Amino acid sequence: MATGFVSAVAKASETDQPSLMLDFDAIRQAGSVRASNFDPDFATSLRQWVQAGGKLASILRVKVAQTEATAGDNLPDVFGRYEILGDGLRFIPYFPFERRVTYKASFDPRPFGRRELSEILTLEFSLPGEPDTLPPEVTHVFPSSDHLPENLLRFYVRFSNPMQRGRTEAEILLLGPDGRPAADVLYRAPVELWDASMRQLTILLDPGRLKRGVGPNRELGPPLEVGQEYMLVVGSGMVDLSGNHLPKAFHKRFRVTEAVREHVAVEQWRIAPPAAGSRNPLVLMFPEPLDAALLLQAITVISADGQPVAGRIVVDQCEERWSFAPALPWNAGSYHVRVASGLEDPCGNSVMAAFDRPLRPGSDLTYEAERRSIQFHVA
Amino acid sequence: MTLPSDSPKSPTYARRDVLRITAASLIASTISGLVPTQSQGASAGKSGSDPLQSAGVLAFGPDNVLFVGDIKGAAVHAFALRASDLTPQLDVELGNFHNFEGRDFVRGVDQKLAAIFGTTYDKIVINDLVVHQPSQQLFISVERGRSTDALPAIVKVNHGELEVLDLAAIPHSQVAIPNLPDPEAMLEFEPQRTFAITDVKYYGGEIFVTGVSNQRFASTLHRIPYPFSDRMTTSTVEIWHPVHGEFETRAPIIRQLIREVQGKPYLFGVYGCTPLVRFPLAALKDGAHVRGDVIGELGYGSNPLDMLTFTDPFDQKEYLLVTIDVRSASRIAVADLGTAPPEPTGGPIDFGPGGLGKTQGLLPVRPEHTAILNPKWAVVIHRHPKTAYRLDVSSLAMPYFFERKDGMSEMNWPDGPDPFKYRDHRGEISRGG
Repeated sequence: MATGFVSAVAKASETDQPSLMLDFDAIRQAGSVRASNFDPDFATSLRQWVQAGGKLASILRVKVAQTEATAGDNLPDVFGRYEILGDGLRFIPYFPFERRVTYKASFDPRPFGRRELSEILTLEFSLPGEPDTLPPEVTHVFPSSDHLPENLLRFYVRFSNPMQRGRTEAEILLLGPDGRPAADVLYRAPVELWDASMRQLTILLDPGRLKRGVGPNRELGPPLEVGQEYMLVVGSGMVDLSGNHLPKAFHKRFRVTEAVREHVAVEQWRIAPPAAGSRNPLVLMFPEPLDAALLLQAITVISADGQPVAGRIVVDQCEERWSFAPALPWNAGSYHVRVASGLEDPCGNSVMAAFDRPLRPGSDLTYEAERRSIQFHVA
Repeated sequence: MTLPSDSPKSPTYARRDVLRITAASLIASTISGLVPTQSQGASAGKSGSDPLQSAGVLAFGPDNVLFVGDIKGAAVHAFALRASDLTPQLDVELGNFHNFEGRDFVRGVDQKLAAIFGTTYDKIVINDLVVHQPSQQLFISVERGRSTDALPAIVKVNHGELEVLDLAAIPHSQVAIPNLPDPEAMLEFEPQRTFAITDVKYYGGEIFVTGVSNQRFASTLHRIPYPFSDRMTTSTVEIWHPVHGEFETRAPIIRQLIREVQGKPYLFGVYGCTPLVRFPLAALKDGAHVRGDVIGELGYGSNPLDMLTFTDPFDQKEYLLVTIDVRSASRIAVADLGTAPPEPTGGPIDFGPGGLGKTQGLLPVRPEHTAILNPKWAVVIHRHPKTAYRLDVSSLAMPYFFERKDGMSEMNWPDGPDPFKYRDHRGEISRGG
């Protein structure tokens, strides 16, 4: 037998008046609906009425509140079973009531024909929420800058909670200068591009419109227009794993600047070496913002013995600054920074080559590979 | 700007194990509502002795026995339905057979199931549909929830109303299916367990259970005598897959059909992408590794939904019907199933169609679930063509599987032509039986 029930309608249950309430067993996470506080004769008359052919399902009814039939028919009641109590009647659903569903219960005592029981009791309820889940929010959108190049390839949207798939197409929009959704600008990937934690979503602008000379670019032109203002919108229909919606839509406004069609030039980075014996960060400054996600994995600090140095990376200043604080103090001597060839800027230009470049015979990869390492000295 | 506010309701992930710890006595005493209990509390409305952990494929056997495939419980259940569990539906209006006009038995069945189970329609999964032939009553296996929180139920249709079966009260036996894939074992896109029990059929005192096991030759076929005993015959099966150009031992038979053709019993199976395969029943011995004969390639890139036979009410010949998710349904004469030569093996990749697939008839129907109701009518669960978010349970006239009221045509004008004499037959409404 269940124990530990709490009543969701405590005030009503404190009175002597007939009442309709939700009982919720927090341990089993199961709810039932109880019509009670009837006089002692009530159970007797209820039983007689049932024996005479009365259906309990016609007097104590529960419906899903927010569901409407689209076929023009009435929707059936929630199915369950009934217990006659000493002072009332209980309904127990076949499957437990669900969170985030609103139900409407009604109890109609009129079939008993007693004058003092002529009022239909009603109750709208939903289960108490899970106490410790905060609703999700958008914590950041990358690139951080509010000035973004015309040939921007990707955004990252970071959420505070792990999210559910399946809502990106409807909920994520790019509004054009006229405030209306800009058509065919975002690439609708067949699979939504979430990271393993389901907290970071990658949004691509249509690469076909970014690459000059390919079909969509020739037909529709580039997705963004220099000098104009746009807004990325993350709609409140995005839902986290617990089923919580974003409390409100998130907006990122930005103005479009000239396209960037150069490879990431490592030789133009400025480097600020730290002092030996300290744990001050090594700082790299970039002339243009780089890709926020790739910056966390594409740059490694290597000590003189060829081993990677352990430490913590911070990316800030609109992804133009990368800092690395070592776990142990710096030793005096020679180090170098190794840059993976996959490091890109937000337009998809990599250390190796521009994303959208003229086709030319052969390859200049050897030239680039030599320039992917920066030596520095700690003194 | 306004964003869509009617996005699907969020699923919940709370486990609801509460269902299984309910005291059976409480249920027994309160279904009728006649015995008061002192209990201040209440438990779930489903009985603790309900043996189902999931509700998958359905099949009827003799004596009103309903078999239910239960992947989560790694078992096939047999519920011996009592007379009170069955309500004859022979008086139900089926439609106008001459005019290809079926009837909707249940409109918005997903929405109605959601209402009954206290949820929203996006949480409702209908896994199978079966007809109890003597009563022509429909039974549907349903789950509420699409994740680890899914809860199973069997629902029947009684004159358009949905009624939940009280499984705890029905005489029951079950057989464990051995060597199911580990719940953690994955295919490229989904857990292997999804295909642990793909089909259950009853034939001649046995049930035939297809699916994948955790064995080296994963595609498995169990023959289990009913009433259940310890005896079980397990074979592994292999086919030449023409579209893939290779012998395959892992991918399971998705749907099966067991019957005699020209006096010999066979098991016919269809696979994904979509070979039609013939196995002589005599070959399916315990421990055997059996290579089936591919007698048709019905079309690449599609998945079979149902496999059944019907008799054409006009030529009185028997036909196999295979419904397919992204293609027209396939119609093949049953007589050809026994005589069709096996497709050659060992050749290059061949997108087909091949064998009986070349001569198959194509039928304009693609329902999610199909069953045969009686000699003139089939029953389907299908997305309503004009409101894609709604599932209906409807009748469909055989042998053309064509529903006139869903189409636009010249004949629909009040003064239009009438080449099929629809108007002469307008009043002819058939019922069950």
